[in-house]
Amino acid sequence: MIANSVTRWSRRVGLAAAAAVAAVPSWAASTDHPGSGGGLPQLDATTYPTQIFWLIVSFILLYIVMSKVAIPRIADVLEERQERIEDDIETADRLRGEAETVKAEYEKAVADARSQAHDLVRKAMDEIADSHAKSEAEAAKKTAETTKAAEARIAEQRTQALESLKSVASEAAAEATAKLTGLKVSDAKIGKAVEAAMQGGA
Amino acid sequence: MASPVAQFQIKTIGPELHVAGMDISFTNSAAFMILATVVIGVFLTQSMSGRHLVPTRIQSMAELSYEFIANMVRENVGSEGRPYFPLIFSLFMFILVGNLLGMVPYSYTFTSQIIVTFAMAITIFVAITVIALVKHGFHFFTFFFPSGAPVYMAPLLIPIEILSYLSRPVSLSVRLFANMMAGHTMMKVFGGFVVALGVAGVAPLAVLVALTGFEVLVAVLQAYVFTILTCIYLYDAIHLH
Repeated sequence: MIANSVTRWSRRVGLAAAAAVAAVPSWAASTDHPGSGGGLPQLDATTYPTQIFWLIVSFILLYIVMSKVAIPRIADVLEERQERIEDDIETADRLRGEAETVKAEYEKAVADARSQAHDLVRKAMDEIADSHAKSEAEAAKKTAETTKAAEARIAEQRTQALESLKSVASEAAAEATAKLTGLKVSDAKIGKAVEAAMQGGA
Repeated sequence: MASPVAQFQIKTIGPELHVAGMDISFTNSAAFMILATVVIGVFLTQSMSGRHLVPTRIQSMAELSYEFIANMVRENVGSEGRPYFPLIFSLFMFILVGNLLGMVPYSYTFTSQIIVTFAMAITIFVAITVIALVKHGFHFFTFFFPSGAPVYMAPLLIPIEILSYLSRPVSLSVRLFANMMAGHTMMKVFGGFVVALGVAGVAPLAVLVALTGFEVLVAVLQAYVFTILTCIYLYDAIHLH
């Protein structure tokens, strides 16, 4: 059945080809037509045994060279390269992992240092604020004491001054009385009078 | 001037060899098959001889072709396709280098021979059918009746499925052969125009330049198509739809 269809088909191709050849201008055509029937050389069955024979010979030769030498060699090289690439990828992965660990450690150290520094700064600031407040309070206390002492002194001096003023006034009053009236007024009387005058004037 | 199809003629090189009444003389076609084998062998072994971790340009080419087919097998056949990888890789390289060698002026394109492509396709077809039969036994024949289809459709579906299955080697081989033959014939015709038109031949020459680029693309593409279809057929054999 296959053979039938092939021969049928070949006959058709032969006709078509013959038509094609006939269509070619006469200068392109040739009278030299060896082989059977002057058709397509491909349809010359006498050439089939040699072609099949040499096809088998060369293809088997090719197959042996391919399967025994060429293909294993290419496969080897490709496999080697694949392994090398996988190795490299693995190494790169490992190194990246290590780098990430180191980076995490570094970041942790930085964060620790930062928080420590923060603590130190806060402590220092607290201390400064404390001592500041203490010295301020001391200064205020001292000032208050000084003020108090000064006030006390002022009050004392004032009483003293008033006292001396009283005696001066008494003397002046006694002298003035003596000069004006010639009377000798007792010191007690004058003292009373001065005191009354001062209180009245005050 | 030679006919555009004269380039496909098989010419015997050296003495004629006859074995069991068959002519197996060394020919231009055979020479290029052997040359392709040698080119592939030298390319893939010498480029890898440095075993550079960072590939050189030529090593990169060898590795890319390897990985291209390895991915194709993995994606289209799956992990069960691993044992067939050397075969599929050899097949791809053989067709690819055969097609590309054919692009060299004065060379011979053995993939433009229907018998060569058909021999490869029918071998693949038989091998894949055997793989499927060994793997699935009689269960293999359920392949010809899509599961889920109503039973009364069987008389119609089964012949269609069988026909489409049997036409696989034909379409596989004809696709490659026809592409290569058509491309090379066309290039030869335009080449003839260039010579015949003299100074005005510049116009077909420009077409020829474009065609050459296009043919290189076809050479690679057809090698790819042949290989990927093989992978798909192999997948069918292993998984049955």
